[in-house]
Amino acid sequence: MKELQDLARKLLSDGSVNVVIGYEAGPRGVRPAFITAPEQAPNLVFNIHCVQNLATYLNPRRKQITQLGKAAVVVKGCDARAVAGMLREKQIERGNVVIIAVRCGGVLQNPETDSELTKETASVRCASCTVREPKLFDHIVGELPPEPPVNTHRVEQITALERMSSAERWNFWTEQLSRCIRCHACREACPMCFCVKCTAEKTQPQWIDPSATPRANRAWQTMRVLHQAGRCVDCLECERACPEHIPLGLLARYVADAVERRFDFTASDDPSVAAPIGVYCTDDDEEFIR
Amino acid sequence: MTHKFLSNQGMASLVAKLIAAKTRVIAPVRAKDDPSQLDYQLIQSFDEAAFGVRLPRRSLKEFFLPPTEVLFHYRQTKTGVEIREVPTIAPPQVIFGATPCDVAALETVDKVMSWDYRDELWFGRRDATTIVTFLCSVMDSTCFCTAVGLGPESFTGSDVLLVPVAGGYLAHLVTERGEALLQSHGAEASEDTVARAETLCSEARSKVEPNLPVIPAEFAGWLASNFDNPVWKTVALRCHGCGACASVCPTCHCFDIVDEHESADEGVRRRNWDSCQTSQFTLHASGHNPRQSQSERFRQRIQHKFSIYPSRFGEILCTGCGRCSRSCPGGMDLPKLLGELVTLAQTEPEVSGQ
Repeated sequence: MKELQDLARKLLSDGSVNVVIGYEAGPRGVRPAFITAPEQAPNLVFNIHCVQNLATYLNPRRKQITQLGKAAVVVKGCDARAVAGMLREKQIERGNVVIIAVRCGGVLQNPETDSELTKETASVRCASCTVREPKLFDHIVGELPPEPPVNTHRVEQITALERMSSAERWNFWTEQLSRCIRCHACREACPMCFCVKCTAEKTQPQWIDPSATPRANRAWQTMRVLHQAGRCVDCLECERACPEHIPLGLLARYVADAVERRFDFTASDDPSVAAPIGVYCTDDDEEFIR
Repeated sequence: MTHKFLSNQGMASLVAKLIAAKTRVIAPVRAKDDPSQLDYQLIQSFDEAAFGVRLPRRSLKEFFLPPTEVLFHYRQTKTGVEIREVPTIAPPQVIFGATPCDVAALETVDKVMSWDYRDELWFGRRDATTIVTFLCSVMDSTCFCTAVGLGPESFTGSDVLLVPVAGGYLAHLVTERGEALLQSHGAEASEDTVARAETLCSEARSKVEPNLPVIPAEFAGWLASNFDNPVWKTVALRCHGCGACASVCPTCHCFDIVDEHESADEGVRRRNWDSCQTSQFTLHASGHNPRQSQSERFRQRIQHKFSIYPSRFGEILCTGCGRCSRSCPGGMDLPKLLGELVTLAQTEPEVSGQ
């Protein structure tokens, strides 16, 4: 912790950055912090409550943050994949952001509880973690903690979905998505949803009806998850933001698994490797696109 | 206001009678996706209800202003357009076990719904609904109803307020509609029961009061004259602009109106929940957006709730339920922020940024 605070103080004092985006103690667990003065550096914390993916705040269209100046951002390994995604897709320039990676041993699924990190309480996304110590960083802090306790919740959910017939799967998602109220909170909280104009907001023509009807909900969430195929970093910000508690992370993970099987690709923290959705190959398997 | 004692058995038989008479009964029930959470839902039997567990995830708003609803159907004909209206008379419904913050919100929103015109769909449902509120026992550190002129024992907007006592409830009959609901139910309450209920009410208040010891209504004037205060540039940095706060808020009531075609010559006009937290909300057809960043959009949320609405309707647009804070993925915290802003208003009362 002191290492992180000292680094933030140094970066702010020597003018390397104008703001350090990190975590501070909050009313319920921790909350994102925007540290703009060296003397605020001791506010920074990192612990098992730090679930938020702070890479979301690097979105160049968040004017209230870009006006603060050059930013350093505290990222876990999983979050570093979102920074890599934004670099890969030319949303940010490498020289304009200072990446502070923290070695991570997992975070809680419900960060508001006081629980220890156990198999039951660990976030479902930590179970398959391969980036506890990311490669994409300018500074890396902390000792590498023990591996997070592996829970099997996500694997069980995916297996259950795969065992369903297509009709059963259709019914499962129709029921889940019937709760969607088309508020688009999932999109706003997502680090990889940064289109200047979302297809859902295009009205000439209106590709997707804006009302929360079963047909439009399915169209919206299907479009979103397909645009996220191979891009989603499984940070679950969408699911945390959803006021209707729809398992959007499960939907995205299901598609991510399909991308992995089909294209041998998973979203990594290496910005130089293009995602399948963003490349054109003359030797593509599919004739229609060659 | 008169009161009665209603036994647990009496309550169960009242609900059973209502359901048998095809009255829609809404109560907090355990959420299917997460049994530790509650949602207000239609119930088919009294056993489904879960009282006194925690605040339901969403407010009662959706039973009066659904997330999407049809205003009318239209069909283009050779000679013009045929309009088919939707019924504005709603089926009777009774809400059991609502929290005072959710119920008070309905009366607050009534004001805007009857301001420039009377919203027939809203009032159709309001008129068809009887509300049985419970003394709140599910407050947590995010609640601040006592700071906004309410409390765990408030009966604003209720027809009946129930206070759980040994063996049943002390029922305060707030309105004639409430008296009618309990006409053939309940018995005379003993003095002991009444005294016990009073103690419970004041105990409940004392659990919420420390959460926000300031009165946000008192800084409406400061807000009005501090539109350009630099504080707005920094208070919403962590806000994603996702609007989850508005979706779960019992008093946020903004909606958008859209036409959706169902075939080449038929369609519906709908209204859908909307939120001032999204950039689309104020986007002009020209492409200009008067609220360019989340700083301006969040300022609008606070200004509307604590200054604009009170100046127009005489009361603040917040009942202190705390859902905005609980649901915020960015960790925004309204009671904490209100505390900070009221302190700022006290220390820097001068008009700034003018």
